[in-house]
Amino acid sequence: MFKTEELQINIGPQHPSTHGVFRMLVTVDGETIIDLKPVFGYLHRNHEQIAEQNTYLQNMPYTDRLDYFNSMANNQAYAMAVEKLAGIEVPERAEYIRVLMVELTRILNHAGALGFLINDMGMWQTQLAFGMREREKILDLFEMASGARMMCNYFRFGGVVRDLPPEFMPKLKELLVAMPAFVDELERLLRENEILMQRAEGIGVLPRELALAYSVTGPVLRGSGVPYDIRKAEPYSVYDRFDFDIPVGSVGDVYDRFLVRIEEMRQSKRIIEQIVEQLPDARGGHINPKARQNVRPPVGDAYARIESPKGELGFYLVSDGSPRPYRYKVRAPSFINLTPLGDMCRGYKVADVVVILGSIDIVMGEVDR
Amino acid sequence: MTVKIERGQIVTVERGQRAARRIPGLGLLDGMAVVWKHWAGSFRKNQGFNDIHGVFTFEYPEERPKLPEAYRNMPILLYDEETGHELCTSCFQCERICPPQVIHMTQARDPATGKPVPAVAEFVIEYDACMSCGFCAEVCPFDAIKMDHEFELSTAEHRGLTVFKEQLNRPISYYERIAPTMWAEVREGAMKKLQGNIKRRPDVIGMAPNLAEKIAARRRELEAATAAPEAPAAAPAEGRKLTPEEKAAKLAAIKAANAAKKGGSTVEPAAPPTEAAPADEKAARLAAIRAKNAARQAGEAIAAAPAPEAAPADEKAARLAAIRAKNAAKKGAEGAPAPEAAAEHPPAAGTAAPAGEAATVAGAAPADEKAARLAAIRAKNAAKKAAEGHDAEGS
Repeated sequence: MFKTEELQINIGPQHPSTHGVFRMLVTVDGETIIDLKPVFGYLHRNHEQIAEQNTYLQNMPYTDRLDYFNSMANNQAYAMAVEKLAGIEVPERAEYIRVLMVELTRILNHAGALGFLINDMGMWQTQLAFGMREREKILDLFEMASGARMMCNYFRFGGVVRDLPPEFMPKLKELLVAMPAFVDELERLLRENEILMQRAEGIGVLPRELALAYSVTGPVLRGSGVPYDIRKAEPYSVYDRFDFDIPVGSVGDVYDRFLVRIEEMRQSKRIIEQIVEQLPDARGGHINPKARQNVRPPVGDAYARIESPKGELGFYLVSDGSPRPYRYKVRAPSFINLTPLGDMCRGYKVADVVVILGSIDIVMGEVDR
Repeated sequence: MTVKIERGQIVTVERGQRAARRIPGLGLLDGMAVVWKHWAGSFRKNQGFNDIHGVFTFEYPEERPKLPEAYRNMPILLYDEETGHELCTSCFQCERICPPQVIHMTQARDPATGKPVPAVAEFVIEYDACMSCGFCAEVCPFDAIKMDHEFELSTAEHRGLTVFKEQLNRPISYYERIAPTMWAEVREGAMKKLQGNIKRRPDVIGMAPNLAEKIAARRRELEAATAAPEAPAAAPAEGRKLTPEEKAAKLAAIKAANAAKKGGSTVEPAAPPTEAAPADEKAARLAAIRAKNAARQAGEAIAAAPAPEAAPADEKAARLAAIRAKNAAKKGAEGAPAPEAAAEHPPAAGTAAPAGEAATVAGAAPADEKAARLAAIRAKNAAKKAAEGHDAEGS
């Protein structure tokens, strides 16, 4: 055999695969990865510092821009944190609308994420286009309700900004009709396809213990076999009223993460069906009329977390009694899920790095903030 | 493997392979079938939300999707085409709430008195930094700022994205067309508030600048209102006659001046009080009497202010009268001959605006009684103060 030297190469920082500005410092021996260091910070835009200069309400549209796929989920986590801090109650109907929006977000996030994953495997844009189409439909719904497709800015302290328009529910029901066919199709593409299976099975294994040690959350953690979902572990909002399952993987490879996401889409659809059933009976309006938007919470701190499509999204707020947060911290799932990338890639081929990165499902807006 | 938990279960996802995978290549064909199915579907249009096949793209510039009412892109300012007035009163709420701080405005001021008027003088939004959050439209108590549906804003000129009031202005009918139900919800309240604000806007302040015809019409209207047939004692320099309201206010000023004069020994009547009785004469007379009493208390007065020229609005006139009475009383207390008492308050009609623009607001009737009373109170206070000052000097 030839004696080969180790070589350090950069993957990125300009868009490695389709995931934004992110650099991976890779040490390779031939095609095999010996070490990988993720380097963040290329999209840093001072989010937390800006938030400390803004009033509590002014931060709401900024949270949209964290994980721009899931603006509704970010809104909910932030609204919950402020509500906890200021002691604002949310009417039942508003809670249902919120959960509905976040579950739709989960579907669109996973449709996009799996599209990108298959895109990274080399099935260039085909599946992504299918996933994006479903996402577009959900974005149409968001636009109807909130006025914007991606930067929804829909949540307010004590509810949501406006009630669902009358044309929303019929459209949503139509969407639910087509949803199972879409999810099945998405599953069929990878599950039966030998080429794609070659790229997914046994690749990027994250063992259960390591996943816990890195405090990874979301589908990545569940893919490694840990049944941890905040919606069940610490039910917030009205999640305790819905029947849904938690899918977990057994190996912790790319394939498991894929399957977990597929199953989560089905469970989200299940939750939405229950919401459609229960929403007409929900008490209260879309917002608590007594809730003031220019909040001035008492001195103290609060941490609120939700199960965002990417994992545990938490907002930690410290109030000094002024209308601006003294400290504003985001516990971003993309950021923490990305840290074990080195361990996940070690021993695999360079071509696998992109697939593994795709299976974590990151959004650089949230990683760097 | 499944584990039961509360309201659900933990399901370990099935990694197993289906029968198709046992024959090499069949899975590949199955995946291809999905793609081919989509290809076949691409010859027809997508049927809606319950259809996952078919062409779902639009031929954009020719074909445009219908935007929902709630859609928001950039903020615009509304004006009422009927009256030509803008809904904005420059309350600064949107400027304060704007997260990226791109809204800037200045409040309109009455050119005669320098007092703020509920109208906006300048309004700028930096569209390039606007994040389209819609807070400005939400917070606006007068429904003056709304979110536009227009999204084709690309321009080669970066400076063109700093948008001024002229470009921000849209008629209400435009917003009503793009968001009928959302406007219907707020319409009544918005129009009511606008009517209230119009009454407090002198001259053509607060009118949409692009409505040149409306503004011209309003000017003509105002001029016609000022050129009332009666009132022979009009100021000849301006070549116009006084309205009854102005007359009453003038009267008040004269009376106040007289009172201040009478306080001293040198009595030289400035102008004989006419007995015209317009609608608000009572209020103005009351003001005059109060001012008179106050001035008398001052003890002495030497010269009085000459009959002031008519101020445009009667509210203003009453206020002016009070100021003049105050000055006269002060001067009287100081024992100095009073020069033109109103020197620092130049007659608005002549100087503040070009001759053509000098116009008055007729029809501000409900406000003037209050204004006159306010004027009287102020005159009284001033006179009292002057008297105290004089006493201190004397002892």
